[in-house]
Amino acid sequence: MKAHTTLYRGSHKAALVLFCLLGCLNFLNAQDSTAVKEEATAAPAAPKKSKPVPNTFENIWLLDNQSVMVPMKGSFQLDFMHRFGTIDGGYQSLFGLFGGINIRIGGNYVPRENLLIGLSLTEYNLTWEGYVKYAGLKQTKDDRIPVSVTYYGDMAVDTRSDPTGGLYAHGSDRLMFFNQILIARKFGDRFSIQVAPSLTHVNVVQGYYPGDTTADGKSVLGKEMKHDHFAIAFSGKVKLNNTLNLLLNYDQPITKHLTNNPNPNLSAGLEINTTGHTFQVLVGNYRYITPSRNNYYNNNDYKSGQWLIGFNMTRLWNW
Amino acid sequence: MKTKTLSVLLLMTTFIVAVSFTFSKQQPKPWNVPEKNAKMANPVKADAASLNAGKASWSKNCASCHGKMGHGDGSKAAKLTTHPGDFSTATTQAQSDGSLFYKISEGRDDMPAFKKKISDEDEIWSLVNYMRTFKK
Repeated sequence: MKAHTTLYRGSHKAALVLFCLLGCLNFLNAQDSTAVKEEATAAPAAPKKSKPVPNTFENIWLLDNQSVMVPMKGSFQLDFMHRFGTIDGGYQSLFGLFGGINIRIGGNYVPRENLLIGLSLTEYNLTWEGYVKYAGLKQTKDDRIPVSVTYYGDMAVDTRSDPTGGLYAHGSDRLMFFNQILIARKFGDRFSIQVAPSLTHVNVVQGYYPGDTTADGKSVLGKEMKHDHFAIAFSGKVKLNNTLNLLLNYDQPITKHLTNNPNPNLSAGLEINTTGHTFQVLVGNYRYITPSRNNYYNNNDYKSGQWLIGFNMTRLWNW
Repeated sequence: MKTKTLSVLLLMTTFIVAVSFTFSKQQPKPWNVPEKNAKMANPVKADAASLNAGKASWSKNCASCHGKMGHGDGSKAAKLTTHPGDFSTATTQAQSDGSLFYKISEGRDDMPAFKKKISDEDEIWSLVNYMRTFKK
């Protein structure tokens, strides 16, 4: 099998269709019948509106994943996220604190109820991300709706300089897409669990020549990895006291590629909340912060002790 | 000491003392609550669940200014323009649940409008229930 540096392009229709379908979720949930029956009987009393369960999670971030939470309308949140190097570097890198860092700065705004839009810049590959999050369903106190369901969509673009075209043959090769459905339930006062299947799409994958040829003698180009990658995340929150939570998370890749299969991520952290700030300190395997890159390219292996320390700091303003 | 020097020192001391009073914390000015809000009944029963929820919300949202037990001695209290008040006294405890709910929701000056931070009204009513436990 000959290795070759030719890049292979793909398209992105499935994620757009998924986004449109999921955008209808809230309308399906909230629609009222417009057909009115002309009857002589008195109109029944309007059913009491079920109240949503508060504080399933207390921040939009759950370590490296998003949570089902969307802040109140008119909220603006600033995010500072930091990942250090892996601790297996030992004293020479002060267990990762002095080496291999990655940083993200982002801003989020809620222009209408249940809808969040955001923009961020991550140091790794100078990745800009634009993202949207919509809380389509909320778990209610009377259990009429047993779970909260939120959609998260993220587009990432690598903006590194490439004057010779050695990195990317086309501009659209720089794009990656991430779509995730977040499903969560709060149990009592202290426990919340979230399950989040996701689909990552990369516009360009590494190609290679396996040595096969077509009938007319042309070499067949193979793909080292698929363009689309499915994964699923399991997350949980345990309330330790009134200001401190324990967060747990596991990301499992599902799609099998020919080579370079990404590793799972196992992470845990502590979260401190005040009225305006949230601090999450974590230990895990994901270093890229960008969700599509984490899910598609993670090569840190928890079985080999490739853990890293990181933190998320957020500040929320309400207007 | 010469008379002139003594006079200057006395004048400076008087000036400094007089100015220091203008920078002291202001006592809260009267806070009028609309009648319909003052008369609102608390729909949340002050049971264990409500008091726990109120305590959790107090710890996260209120204690940093108002103090752990509502005495106005939180870590941020010294930076406030207006004294955050001692909620254990009759001045606060004599107010209706609706009045307290209104003030928490609407805020003024240093005090944020918590209706913008707390989406669940029941949580604010539970805060009111919890504030009743500060009573001396």
